[in-house]
Amino acid sequence: MPAARFIRYVEGNSPVHRLDPRAKLTFIFFLILSLTLASSLIQVLPLLIVSLLFYFSARLPWEKTRGTWAFILAALIVLSAMNYLTVAALYGGEGESLASRLTSPETVLRAVIPVIKLLSLAAATATLVFTTPPNMYAPALGQMGLSYGKAYVIQLALRYVPEFVAELRKTLEAQMARGFRPRGGKNPISRLLAIVPLVVPVTVSAALSIYDIADAMELRGFGGEECHTWYRKLRMSKLDKALVAGSVALGATYVALQVLETLNLI
Amino acid sequence: MADVSERRAFSTVNLVAMGIGTALYAAFNVFFNLFQLPGTQLVALRPSVCIPMFFGYVFGPVVGFVAGFLGNAISDAISWGGFWWNWDVGNGLLGLIPGLAFYLIPREEIFRRRGYVICAILAVVASVVGMGFSAYTDYIFGYGVSTVEEATYALFIPAALTDAINGAILAPILVAAYSAAARGRARGA
Repeated sequence: MPAARFIRYVEGNSPVHRLDPRAKLTFIFFLILSLTLASSLIQVLPLLIVSLLFYFSARLPWEKTRGTWAFILAALIVLSAMNYLTVAALYGGEGESLASRLTSPETVLRAVIPVIKLLSLAAATATLVFTTPPNMYAPALGQMGLSYGKAYVIQLALRYVPEFVAELRKTLEAQMARGFRPRGGKNPISRLLAIVPLVVPVTVSAALSIYDIADAMELRGFGGEECHTWYRKLRMSKLDKALVAGSVALGATYVALQVLETLNLI
Repeated sequence: MADVSERRAFSTVNLVAMGIGTALYAAFNVFFNLFQLPGTQLVALRPSVCIPMFFGYVFGPVVGFVAGFLGNAISDAISWGGFWWNWDVGNGLLGLIPGLAFYLIPREEIFRRRGYVICAILAVVASVVGMGFSAYTDYIFGYGVSTVEEATYALFIPAALTDAINGAILAPILVAAYSAAARGRARGA
C-alpha cells in the first residue's frame, strides 16, 4: 500500500493544494510561533480566523475530513468542560460562591482561550497534512536547506510505515499459525492488546534489517560527498511568496506584541 | 560488536535507523492511539514507547530523538490528520534520554546486565522528562489546558506513569532480544 494512501492526503486542485510545500511549512512554523506567544482573546481570535481561512481555502470534501473533525470536536468539548470546571473550582476570589465563579467572564475566558488555540493549531496542521502529498516533504525540506541525507529520513520513514503495518499483520498470522490465540474476539481493547506481543519480534527484525538497507543504499551512492539534486524541483509562485511574506509578518507582529507587553508599553 | 560510539551521528546506518525507528513507532502508534486512557485528556496507553527508547539506547541520542519526534508526528497525521509539536518533542525526549547511555557506560557494558538496568532507569527518567515537557508546555503555552493541576493530573501523571512502566519493562527486553539476534547473525549491534 503506497504511503500516499496511508497518510491522510486528499487530492485536489484548490489554491492550498497548489501551494509550494515550503510556503505551507513556513506558514505553519510562524502560526505555531504566533499561537505560542498569543495570550489574550483579542490576540488569539485573528489566528483562529487565519487557520480557518487556510482550511476552507483547501476546499476539502467533508466525507474525507469527517473523522478528523469528529476527533477535534470531541477533544474540544472534553477540554472545554475540564478547563471550565477546574478553573471555576480551583481559582476565584475568596468567599466567592461556585455559581458566581462559573459565570464570571474571567473563568470563561481562561477556559476558552486554550481551546481556541488548540482549534487553530489543529485546523492548520490538518490542512497541511490533507493537502501535501507525502512524497513532497523530503524534497521541500531538502530545498529549504536541510542536507539531503537528513531530509531523506522522512522519505524512508513514509516508505516503511505501510510495510511495517503489513509486517505486524504477517507476524500476528505467523504466531497464530504456531498456536498463539489473541483473546477478545470482537472486543476492541483485547484486539489492541493482541498487538503487544508483536512489539519485540517486529522491532528486532526491523532493527536487524537496518544494516542491509544501509549497505544497499551506500552501494547505490548514498552518503557520497558530492552535491545531490532533487528529482522534484520546486518553484515558488507569486502566491507562495505572498504566503511566506504574510507568515513572516504575522510572526513578527506577535513577537513585537510580546516585546511591547513585556516592557509594559501596551 | 562494533564500537557504536565511533559512528558519526548522521552516518548512513544512523540515518536508516532514524527512518526505520520512525516508521516502526508510527506503525505501532496508529493502533495504540485508539487506546485512550479514561479520565485523561487524550493520553493513549502506548507500549510502543519502548521503540524510540530502544533506538536511542542502541543507536544514540540523535537517532532516538528523531524516531520519537517524527514517529509521533507521522502517527498523529495518520490517526487524525494533524500534529501537536510539543508532544512530538516530548516523544523525541523519550528516545534521546536513553541514548545518553552512550556517555554514561562503556560500550562493552550496554548489552550486559548492568546495561539493561541502566536502560530501565533511563527509560523511567525519559518518561518523566519527556511527558513533563509535553504536559507543562501545554499549560505554559496554553494549548487546551488552563491550569497546572489539569496539566499534572490529566496529562503528566497518566502519560509519564504508563510510559515509565512500559519503557522500563519493554526497552531492556528489546535490547536483550536485539543483542542475542545480532550476535546470532554476526552483525554489528
